[in-house]
Amino acid sequence: MSDNNPVQKNLPRIGFYICHCGTNIAGTIDVAEVRKYAAGLPGVAVSRDYKYMCSDPGQEMIAKDIKEQKLERLVVAACSPNLHEETFRKAALKGGLNPFYFQMVNIREHVAWVHTDKKAATEKAKDLSRAAIARVAYHQSLEKKRVPVDPNVLVVGGGIAGIHAALTLANAGKKVTLVEREATIGGHMALFDKTFPTLDCAACILTPKMSAVKAHPNITLWTYSEVEKVEGYVGNYKVQVKRKPRYVKEDLCVGCMECIDACVFKEPKFHDKFNQGLGKRKPVYIDFPQATPKVVLVDPETCIQLKTGKCKKSCAAVCDRNAFDFEQKPEIKEIQVGAIVLATGFKAYDAKRDYVYGYGRYPGVYTALEVERLVNASGPTSGEIVLRDGKRPKAVGIVHCVGSRDAKSNKWCSRVCCMYSLKLAHLIKEHSGADVYNFYIDMRAPGKAYEEFYDKLLGEGVQFIRGRVAEVTDWAMTPGEEGRLVMRVEDTLAGFVRRIPVDMVVLSTGLEPQADAQEVRRRFNIGCGTEGFFQERHPKLAPVNTFTDGIYIAGACQAPRDIPDTVAQAGAAAAEALALIDAGFVELEPNTSRVIEDECCGCKSCISLCPYSAITFDEVKKKAVINEVLCKGCGVCAAACPSGSIRQNLFEDDEIFSEIKGILANDRKI
Amino acid sequence: MPLERKVKYENECDKEFADWVTSQTGGENLRHCIQCGICSAACPLSLYMDYTPRRLINLARAGFKKEVLSSLTIWLCASCYACRVECPKEIQITDIMYLLKRKAIEEGVYPRRFPIPVLAREFGRMVFMFGRVNETLLVTDLFLRTNWFKFLSMTGLGLNLIRTGRMSYLPEHIKNRGQLRKIMNAIDTEAKKGETK
Repeated sequence: MSDNNPVQKNLPRIGFYICHCGTNIAGTIDVAEVRKYAAGLPGVAVSRDYKYMCSDPGQEMIAKDIKEQKLERLVVAACSPNLHEETFRKAALKGGLNPFYFQMVNIREHVAWVHTDKKAATEKAKDLSRAAIARVAYHQSLEKKRVPVDPNVLVVGGGIAGIHAALTLANAGKKVTLVEREATIGGHMALFDKTFPTLDCAACILTPKMSAVKAHPNITLWTYSEVEKVEGYVGNYKVQVKRKPRYVKEDLCVGCMECIDACVFKEPKFHDKFNQGLGKRKPVYIDFPQATPKVVLVDPETCIQLKTGKCKKSCAAVCDRNAFDFEQKPEIKEIQVGAIVLATGFKAYDAKRDYVYGYGRYPGVYTALEVERLVNASGPTSGEIVLRDGKRPKAVGIVHCVGSRDAKSNKWCSRVCCMYSLKLAHLIKEHSGADVYNFYIDMRAPGKAYEEFYDKLLGEGVQFIRGRVAEVTDWAMTPGEEGRLVMRVEDTLAGFVRRIPVDMVVLSTGLEPQADAQEVRRRFNIGCGTEGFFQERHPKLAPVNTFTDGIYIAGACQAPRDIPDTVAQAGAAAAEALALIDAGFVELEPNTSRVIEDECCGCKSCISLCPYSAITFDEVKKKAVINEVLCKGCGVCAAACPSGSIRQNLFEDDEIFSEIKGILANDRKI
Repeated sequence: MPLERKVKYENECDKEFADWVTSQTGGENLRHCIQCGICSAACPLSLYMDYTPRRLINLARAGFKKEVLSSLTIWLCASCYACRVECPKEIQITDIMYLLKRKAIEEGVYPRRFPIPVLAREFGRMVFMFGRVNETLLVTDLFLRTNWFKFLSMTGLGLNLIRTGRMSYLPEHIKNRGQLRKIMNAIDTEAKKGETK
């Protein structure tokens, strides 16, 4: 193809710049030699090296050369284009050059950082530079496309993260739809009694925010609902939400709860999920008094009417607002949004998996979430520490790191367990006067006023024993252990093994990704780490962004975190979403594919291959049509097209072939 | 070699002992210990201790009374206060050592024939009797109660010290010994009262 290439005869004036990156590049590559070598290549009018090309003077140098030396193409050999491609495109633009007349060579990550042989590395840098210089001659002038952004936002998950993000966005005047899977918003925080380290009441600080969500004119609250399908792209997402039937009309119910009293089941007898199974509920129920929305719901698994159709429906009879509707069906709603904040939270580790701790075998063994309900004044025991057998514990052992820091289950530290264990130790001691032992591996209290809280607990006389408990057993070895649960642990600070009899064991279970985290991440087309938490774009510099533009993450769906950090992150995610929306448009990379209509034979092979559903078929013209906005520039269609009628910007045949030729055109003997 | 049980049962713990230590002047901060171990590292005598100061504090607050009171650690403490200076939680470790020493003497559980507790006890007794300490008598007493052979080997040095007037020959005593005894008895009674409180 280059035989009859017009450009070859009259090469554009190319500027080549190589960066030292301090010693990052110059330490391995002989920068001056590459500069000299490039200067002799065809078309190169200017060849320079500089300590930091990305610095202001470096950029100024490029802009000045473009103007003064009448450069028509630009090549910069530096770091990864992920970091500075945009910087040098801007420099080109400043000099009056189309930013796409530019090619970047990555000689840091691809060469300097991965090689030790300086001579060979210098040769490789030359090869890569030569390839870029050969390719850039064929670059064409391109423009970025602008697409408008829908100003509405979807927030998925109604825990404290979702609530805070929704309120922030709504207060900024954006229309927000908050979708929550459970019947009420509030998430895990609604289960807690107190919050560490301040010991302020969780409900007292959470419920005002829950009510604010309900009352906010800019927030549409859909509880008992799940996102089914997400289509579209940044700024223009089309989302389908399934609203599960509550069998009660949400707009009619006022939450008087007379139906619950009237239910044919005189006593509550079914597993109460909200109270972690420690309490009972009826088939018609409301999770807790401050549930938002304050609307009852009917459980189809236990309601006689829904199971058999043969109930006298005393609940519906007492409802003077006629809110019951046993015929209610799931409803699919469709909304358009510009940005999505995912705040789907975490799942507590299943304590049954650690068999040695006897959860499920010994009634005296509890999980931390169960104890949260036990110490809660609105919980099943009204805040009294009463065991399952009705007794009050004289001694309580709290086991840290259950399902954390363990290669057999979860390797990570769940970050909040030390602190909530301290909080529970304080509450248990306060509510019951029992002796409390904390069994920890390392005490992790790295937050504002956290270490001080630990110190307070030490002063309160809570026993701290450093060591991972090996076993909880009812096998007594001394009379004092008869009828109690014995915890066997090495007190690593005292230097011997201890057997400590207690009446109640609390397992401080760690935080895991939600059971359906994989499905959710696929639905929203975002990534996750090996442990299953959603993947942020950058662990330090883009912690709430994902690799999919317009989708942000906040809270414990990204990694275990406590309430202050979750709220901070939710605010950050809301701000990122606002930044996207308030810009009004997004600029799309022009590296998209296009169909040369005359050459397209209409075979449709590209359509099924496109991972972004960006290609449709024009039935009238019998040609493939690419939606440039949806196209992400992966190039699959261009590679697959049998007639070669799909071309991709920045990856034209000319460009690719000359790059390959460039890289192979060395005269070295191997 | 006979095998003995090393695991500790909780009934070997005396929770009241821990409470007693924290109730005493100097012991208040005991529970705030974060077990960093700087006390042990700073201690010039931890080299010889059976339990390091860090471990002793841990045992004391967990209530392992027997181990604590019969340890050599409290008797090896030279009251240099290096631990107290370094402690990030400002625990008055040296004061706690004194508390424990007193308790050990009181309960008679200090290590037999170990000179330091004997010295402490005999010193106190001599002050009570004479109002003065007579080195010759004290040292003789100490060696006879702890190590006979040492007494014989030190005799030469002792005689030389007496001859050159470095150690007094005859026991001295103060006037009005009765009044000092009254004072000392009063302190003891008060201390006992404080403990039973």
